[in-house]
Order: sequence, then C-alpha cells, then structure tokens
Amino acid sequence: MTTLAERPAAGLTFRQKLSRFDFKASPYLYVSPFFILFGLLGLFPIAYTMNVSLYEWNLLKGQGDFVGAGNYISVLTDPFFWNAVGNTFSIFLLSTIPQLIAATVLAALLDQAIRASTFWRMSILLPYIVAPVAVAVIFTQIFSQFNGPITGVLQLLGMDPIRWGFDPFASHIAIASMVNWRWTGYNALILLAAMQSIPRDIYESAALDGAGKIRRFFSITIPMIRPTMIFVVITSTIGGLQIFAEPKLYDGQSNGGANRQFQTIVLYLYEMAFPRRDFGRAAATAWILFVIIILIGLINFAISRSIASQDAGRTRARVARTMKGVRS
Amino acid sequence: MFARRTTAAVAVAGAAAFALLATGCASGGEASGDEEITLTITTFGTMGIDANFDKYMEEHPNITIEATNLENGGAARDDAYAKIAAGTGLSDIVAIEEGWLSTIRDVSDAFVDLRDYGIEENKDDWLEWKYEQGTDADGRVFGAGLDIGPQGLCYRGDLFEAAGLPSDRAEVAELFGGEDATWEQFFEVGQQYTAATGKPFFHNPSFFWNAYVNQQEEGYYKSDGETLNIKDNQGMQEQLDLIVENASIGAGLPGWGVGDQAKQDLFATYVCPSWMLGVVSGYYDADTTGTGWDFADVLPGGAANWGGAFLGVSESSPHKEAAAELALWLAAPEQQAASFEAAGPFPSTIEGQELVSDSVNAFFNDAPVGEILTARADGVIAQVKGPEDSVIQDNVFGPVLDRISQGEITDGKVAWEEAMVLLDQLVPQS
Repeated sequence: MTTLAERPAAGLTFRQKLSRFDFKASPYLYVSPFFILFGLLGLFPIAYTMNVSLYEWNLLKGQGDFVGAGNYISVLTDPFFWNAVGNTFSIFLLSTIPQLIAATVLAALLDQAIRASTFWRMSILLPYIVAPVAVAVIFTQIFSQFNGPITGVLQLLGMDPIRWGFDPFASHIAIASMVNWRWTGYNALILLAAMQSIPRDIYESAALDGAGKIRRFFSITIPMIRPTMIFVVITSTIGGLQIFAEPKLYDGQSNGGANRQFQTIVLYLYEMAFPRRDFGRAAATAWILFVIIILIGLINFAISRSIASQDAGRTRARVARTMKGVRS
Repeated sequence: MFARRTTAAVAVAGAAAFALLATGCASGGEASGDEEITLTITTFGTMGIDANFDKYMEEHPNITIEATNLENGGAARDDAYAKIAAGTGLSDIVAIEEGWLSTIRDVSDAFVDLRDYGIEENKDDWLEWKYEQGTDADGRVFGAGLDIGPQGLCYRGDLFEAAGLPSDRAEVAELFGGEDATWEQFFEVGQQYTAATGKPFFHNPSFFWNAYVNQQEEGYYKSDGETLNIKDNQGMQEQLDLIVENASIGAGLPGWGVGDQAKQDLFATYVCPSWMLGVVSGYYDADTTGTGWDFADVLPGGAANWGGAFLGVSESSPHKEAAAELALWLAAPEQQAASFEAAGPFPSTIEGQELVSDSVNAFFNDAPVGEILTARADGVIAQVKGPEDSVIQDNVFGPVLDRISQGEITDGKVAWEEAMVLLDQLVPQS
C-alpha cells in the first residue's frame, strides 16, 4: 500500500498546473485585447497630451522648452477661452434642456398603444443616422441671414431679419437646433426603453385610484425612469460640452465666427492647434476641458443622488410606518 | 476533448494572425523605370491644374495621378500643418499658398530641394521674385512657382450703365483714375453709384483692406520678415478710416460664397486677382455669358499681387523622382497657360504669360484678360510675409472688418483700437 510519504513529491503534474493557470488567467486574457487597444489608442494619447501641455510645443517645429503650468495659465487668462466657455455653456443649455424635455414627451407618446408603433419608433431615429456634415450644410442654408427660408418667413411677417451668422445668441440657437434635431430621437428611444420596463399594473392601480394621464406621467413614469434619465443627462452633458462639428461647419471659413460668436471650447482648441500652431496650449485646453467635464459630471451625480436618496428615505420611512401598523 | 478544441482554436488563431500580418506588409518599395507608380497630389480651390493631369497620364502611361482637391486655402493649410506635424501623410506633391508660405519656409525640410531635380536649369523661366519666394533661408528651393495674382477690377458693366457711369473697359479704367487710381476716387465713384441706383457698390470691405496691405512695400511685417509694421502705420490707419466711412455703400455680405447675391445684382464691383476670375465665374453656371461682368485694367492704389501657389514635393514621398518630374512639368509654361485657360490663375513664368497674352474670357464680356493681367503684373514685387501674416489678416483685422461691414463700428479710431487689442492678444511681440 502506498503511504502518504510515497506520493509524488512534486504535488500537481505539469498538465494540472497548466490547467489551473488556464482557469485563473484566461478571463484576463480574454479581456486584454480591449485594454491593450484602449491603452494604445486611448490612455497613451491622453497621457501624452498631458506631456505636450507641459512644454512650449509648436505644431510644426516640435517640442520646445519646458514651461510646466505656463500653458495652463495662459489659457485660463485668455479672454477668448472664457468666451468659448460661455458659448459652450450657452449652446449646451440651449440644446440639452429642450432636447431632454422633448425626448421624454416623445418617449411617453411612443409608449402608448399606437398603430404602426415600430414605424414611428424607427423614424425618430432617422435624424441620428444623417451625417453631421450634411446636417450642418443644410441647416446653414436654412439659417442663412440672406437667403434662408426663415429669413423669408420673417420678411413675410414684416419683421427685421435675424442675423443668424453674426449675433451670438441667434447663432447659438441655430447650432443648438442642429444638435437637438440630431439627438432628440436617440435619447427618446433610450427613455422609451426605460419606460417600457415599468410594470403596467402600477399604472392600472393609479388609474383605479383616479389619477389622470398627466398625473400618472409625472408621479409614476418620471420617477421610475430616473436612473436612465441620469444616464441620458450625463451623456448629453459630455457630448454637449464637446460640440465641435456643428459650429465648425456652420460657417465654413472661420473657427467659430469672425468674432468668435459661437466658438466652443473644442473649436478654440482646434484654433490653437492648427491656425495658431500652439500645440502646448491646445493640449492644456484639452485637459482643462476634461476637468470641466468631470466637475459637471460630479455635480450632476451629486444632485441626482441627493434627489434619489431623498425619495428613497421617504419611501423607507413610509414602508417602516406601514410595517409598524401591520405588526402592532 | 479540451485538447481537440484547443488545437483547432490555435490553428484558426494562427492562420488569422498570419493573414493580418500579410495584409499589413503591403509593398511600397522604390519604383524604377516603367514600373506602375501612383502619385498623389493635394490642391485647393480652383487651381485649374486638374486639366493637365489627363495629359500627363497619357504621355506617361505607367503613372496614375490621384488628386485631392480641398475646398479653400485655409483647409489646405490646416491639412498640410497637421501632416507635417505628424511626420507622415503628406501627398507626394502639395500645393502651398503664398499666405502660409512663410510658415512652411520655417519647416522647409519637409519638402525636397528641387535643385536636386533640375529646377535650376529652368530658373530663368520664372519671374525672379516668384522663384525667390519659393526658396528658403539656406537657398533650398522647396516650392516651384505656379501662379501669381495680379489684381484688376471686376465690375458689372450693365449696372454701371444703369447708374449713368461709363461701362466700357477703357473708360471705366479712366473713371477710377487709370494708372493713378486711388482708393479715395474708388469710393467717390461708389458713392455716386449708390446715390444713383440705391444699391450697394461692393459686397464686403475686407478685400479692399487686403488689397491695400499687399500694395505697400512693407505689409504687416517689415522687410526683415520679423518686425511687425502695424502699430504706428499711418497708411493702414487711414485706409481703415476710409473703409469705415464708406461702409454704408457696402452690402454687408460675407466675403465669400455670395453667388446668389451676385445674381441678384446686389453689388457691382469685385477686387479681382487673376484667380478670382474663376471664383466669380464659378458663381454662375458653366458657359454663362452676358451676365454683365467685365474686367477693367485698373486697381485703386496701384499694382499689387495677391496670392499665388507653389508646388512642393514632400520628403516623405516614396517616389520623389517621379513626383518632382510631375511637379516641375505642372509648373512649366505650357501647363501654366493651360491652367489659366481652365480656371484663371495667371502664369508666373515669362513664357507662360506670353502664351496667354491674347487670351479672351467670354464670361467677362470677352475681356482680353491675358493682356490686362500682364499689364497689371507689370512692376509688381512680392511683399515679404512674416510667420503670423495669415493670423493677422484673418484673426486681427478680419473680425474688425466683419463688424464694420455689419455696421457695428462706425468710427475709424474705434476700429483701429479694437484691431490693436486683438493684435496684442494674438501675436506675441517678440
């Protein structure tokens, strides 16, 4: 009989070790392609941009002297940068707020039992599929202060033409309309998906209790799609603060209007990088934008968490009271 | 069971990896003799040289030319900068515009020295100043001159007639002062025109500003190409005053893309360097005549050059020899003349100018454009441009002129102050 002492001293065989290694390591290997690609194409450029921002870096002549925070300071003290920040926030608010309201309303409408619902749901996604360049070209024509149809309508009504290309606020409205046109359908579908996961019997019991359609919408639908709403708000925020294609193509020549009427932060970055050839400052702008987006994201998150926990707290209190009543 | 699946999986993965590697290793080696070569060329606007590509491909059946045309000089500039910065991606031949030539001159190492490909033998073909422009500080010739931009005045003969002004070419030249034409006289005629017809005389004042700056011996920079020449510049301030005073006879339109407004008779004059002839006729459908546009041999303020392109062969090109041959061929007199016939850019070679001297443009009321442009090119010397020239033109004076055009600024002093503020912010004083 073999005793314990006579067992092979090596423990596991090579085959068994290989198998165990395979078992433990293969999950990491399966996800590694993504992370390797992300590291090469995502993380490395981000880190390199930080490196570029610390130097006096001319686009064509390459790396210059080390200036540390010099580029950041010159960007933060540049009135054109703050002009771009103002424009970005203006366009962002003009585009995100109406968009989300419209998307919610559209989603609620599509959530009803309507005929040809698939057709309607697919149609509102169509604007999203159109190339941004094409959208910009057409909307520029529509909003042209000289020949556009809107100017024509205003003329018919006897009003003064609005200078869509020249007045800052008018240009923001034009650009925001482009963004809204494109993204409302997309956001509506996401919210629709969230609405469809709300159990129908809640609506039924509310209807039985006498709640009208509007009341049901505000008291049931909106609170129950809150997580999705937060997601949509955060993605809209990130996208809205990075708007580039629409203002760049709104006026084919300039980087945000001759007087920077609609120059967004990313357009300012582009102007720094290419016509002005100051790569260091462009990189600094990119990082400042990153910080701004994180800040806004954190603010968003904090607000939505406090609202959520308020409700959760109230609900928990209510449930506790009911349970007390039941138990006693 | 695991072993079998694993072996199969390894075999598939291995084959896939090998296939990927194989596609990655595309052949791009040096060509010699009659090997099939594809040359890439990037141009912008309407340079008229695509007409010549077919001819070259016929004569050289082993060469295929792939042309990319960008919309305007600004797009071409940004594109070239990005690719020079990246170190790769430039096409074999790149069209360079005079506006950003000085920036390219600083990094002329990105382009080959065309002297290595025989350009010096034909050095005398070109106007001396044009050849010099394409040379950098070390004497390397990085750009072969394509066209120059002598300026004349395009005008609407029919609208002039309706306003009681002469419409014949020669008479119009006299009206503005002929050889001694001044900007004051130009605007005086303009006031007359607007008073008679109630319509705007010009579409945008920025061209009058750019033309004026180009007419001076020293523009935004002094002759050394480094010192700014703006702050105490009396002449510039006076011209800005003049423009502000006469903004009311302008149409307040943007500088470019005013085709619809042209057809609506919303302006009657246009500053026309030779390449602008193609732009103005491009507003209308091809082969249109009788629109009323004509071209006069006069420019207020005297002869001036605006623009002009060069062709550079990039150092990163895998076919430098063939590309240089093509570039020099495109810049040769016959091809320059053919481009002129096609789109309007005026040849920078002396023989090229002679070849087109009897050219007539049907769109411009059969104006003898070759003759006129040769006359307008007489005595033109290119101005020294500094590194931030296009920034000053587009981002310092551009916004101010835009505001003047829209009626936002009505005082010349205020306009100048605003421009100086922008200048301080955008151009770091060395």
